[in-house]
Order: sequence, then structure tokens, then C-alpha cells
Amino acid sequence: MNHDEKNQNPKTPTITLRKFTLSDVDAFMSWAADPRVTRFQRRDPYSDPADALAYITTHILPHPWYRAICIDNTPVGSISVKPAPGEDRHRASIGYRLAYDYWGKGIATEALKLTIKAAFEELDHLERLEAIADVDNPASQRVLEKAGFKEEGILRKYVRLKGETRDMVMFSFLLSDAV
Amino acid sequence: MDEQTTVLNRSRQPLTVTLREFELTDVDDYFVWASDDRVSPWWRWDIFTNKEDVLTFMEETVLPHPWMRAICLDGRPVGAISVTRRTAEHQCRAELGYVIASQYWGRGITTEAVKLVLGTIFGDMEGLERLEALVLVQNVGSQKVLEKAGFTKEGILKKYLIHKGKISDMVMYSFIPSEN
Repeated sequence: MNHDEKNQNPKTPTITLRKFTLSDVDAFMSWAADPRVTRFQRRDPYSDPADALAYITTHILPHPWYRAICIDNTPVGSISVKPAPGEDRHRASIGYRLAYDYWGKGIATEALKLTIKAAFEELDHLERLEAIADVDNPASQRVLEKAGFKEEGILRKYVRLKGETRDMVMFSFLLSDAV
Repeated sequence: MDEQTTVLNRSRQPLTVTLREFELTDVDDYFVWASDDRVSPWWRWDIFTNKEDVLTFMEETVLPHPWMRAICLDGRPVGAISVTRRTAEHQCRAELGYVIASQYWGRGITTEAVKLVLGTIFGDMEGLERLEALVLVQNVGSQKVLEKAGFTKEGILKKYLIHKGKISDMVMYSFIPSEN
């Protein structure tokens, strides 16, 4: 599904979102194998494309909402929306990752804006999108703010990341904010 | 192990607040707050109208719970308090929940029960670094309990939980032993 936005920042290349296919594994490795990208992720960088292929097969393809962030239909990152467990189906969390060479061009912000629009349209009952960013990841915090998320607070010692317990900043974007 | 502390009753006589594990024989006491229509609006579960249902609830939810205690006043259960640990990468945190019969509100009993939990839970749960509690924004009484027990308010999570069918804003509180 394409979501061309005519009023993207002129410095940002035109980006589209689409579902992944198994043939995207090499593009996927361009960020998933990079320790600069995986620094704030739970997993270590991939070294074997076979592991990446397994991840695409078992996690990405069956996922309720997982998209490749594309420039000229080539994936340069990914973005996903995960509904909250149990009864709280009105709530979903967003995660995203971008290949290092594409940082600083407004691409993640644009992907978030497209995702916010698509998620509220496609996911029934959705009223709250949320995202957490590590307190030591100001770039990600800025991306979320530029995409219209509001900071709600700092949740101390919230998640374990690579052997450390991290403080995370909680952000939300409510359906009622999407005017 | 029974944890205990002392609060004062209305005539300034000391009463003892203790925590202990529940037994099915506590069903009559459990029914008191589970059927209390002043308690029910603040609690995620629907109000209970008969003891059979409470017995089933105790069998299925209370007794198997990894960490749940009766809040006892002079040895008699007047409420319940639980700590539910998260899984996987979230094992560093656990959520606190509590309920107490309405005739015991406003006497500092819940605050004492929370303090008793704080004194024991980080030893009981290895690797636990954060105890958090989510409170409805309208539930000022519960917010005061947490503040008096030493929790920090971290923010308001809007439209966070569905409470009694309504999407509700929740205040997030946490207690971090190394910081609080």
C-alpha cells in the first residue's frame, strides 16, 4: 500500500511503506546487522542472513502490522505497530529502525506520520499509539516529537536492555490528537 | 513470614496491620470487599454478588497468584495486596495492586500494607528494580496512599487502560529502591 505524501519536507526523499517479502533480506541486513542501529534494541546485530531470514519468516510476515520504510521501493528501515496484550486493544505501541546512512534526513519522522495515519485507519478500536525511547536516545525522542507524539513522563528502570536496566521516556499519540 | 506494623484506630488504640497468604477459609472476609459497591468502581473486576463466585475467584486467581497477600487488621483480612511481575525484558518491574473494604478507608491501613510490601518484595523477587502502580486519575485516595508510602508520580498515561468498559487516563507511580 503506498502513501505518497505531497507535503513531505522537501529535503526528505519520498518514502513509502509496504509489507516485507523474503527477498528483502539483504536490505534488511543493512540495518539489522549494524550495531549503531541495534544499540537501543534488545537484540544484537545479525551476522548471518539465514538468521535474518528466519526473523522475517517467523516474526515479520505474521506480524499484525509491520512495514518496510522504502525509498524507490527499496527498504531502508522498518516500522511496526503492536497492539497491547489482553483486553486493551485500544492501545498499540510503535517501534522503528532505520539504516544508519539514512539518519538525519527526516525519514523516520515521515514514516511515523504515515504510520499514525494508517494505524488509526486500519486498526479497529485504536485510540492510543505509544512509543518509548531510551533516555540516552535524544535523536529518537526528537523524531517522536516532530511526528506529533507528546511526552508523558520518564519511566525509571522500565526495561532490561543488553544486561542493563534502562530509564525510558514514554510518548503517546491519541486518536483525538489526529486532527 | 508475617510482616507487621501498627496503626491507630479511631480511639487512638493501636491496631496491628499484617500481611499473610490467603486461604479458601478467608472467603467470607474476601466477600466483604468484593461485594462492596463503594469499592467496586475503583477495582478492575466486576462486583461479586455471591460467595460461590468469590470462592471460584479465590481458587482460580487469588491462591495461584505468584505474590498476593491478605491485608489483616488485628489478624482479620480486610483487603488484599498483590505484586505481579512482568516477563522477559520487563522482568525488572512488577505492578502493585491493592483493595480494602470501604469501612477501613482513610485510616492509613493501606499505606501501611504498601510499606510492608516495600520492605519485603525486593528481597523476595530477585532482579526486581521497579515497583509500579497505575491509578485512575479520579482515584485521589489511592494516589495519596502511594505518595505517603514513598512512591514517585512519573506522569499521566492518557487513554491507557480500559476500566469497567471505559478507556481511562491512568497516573503512573513507581518505587525504585536505589532512588526513592
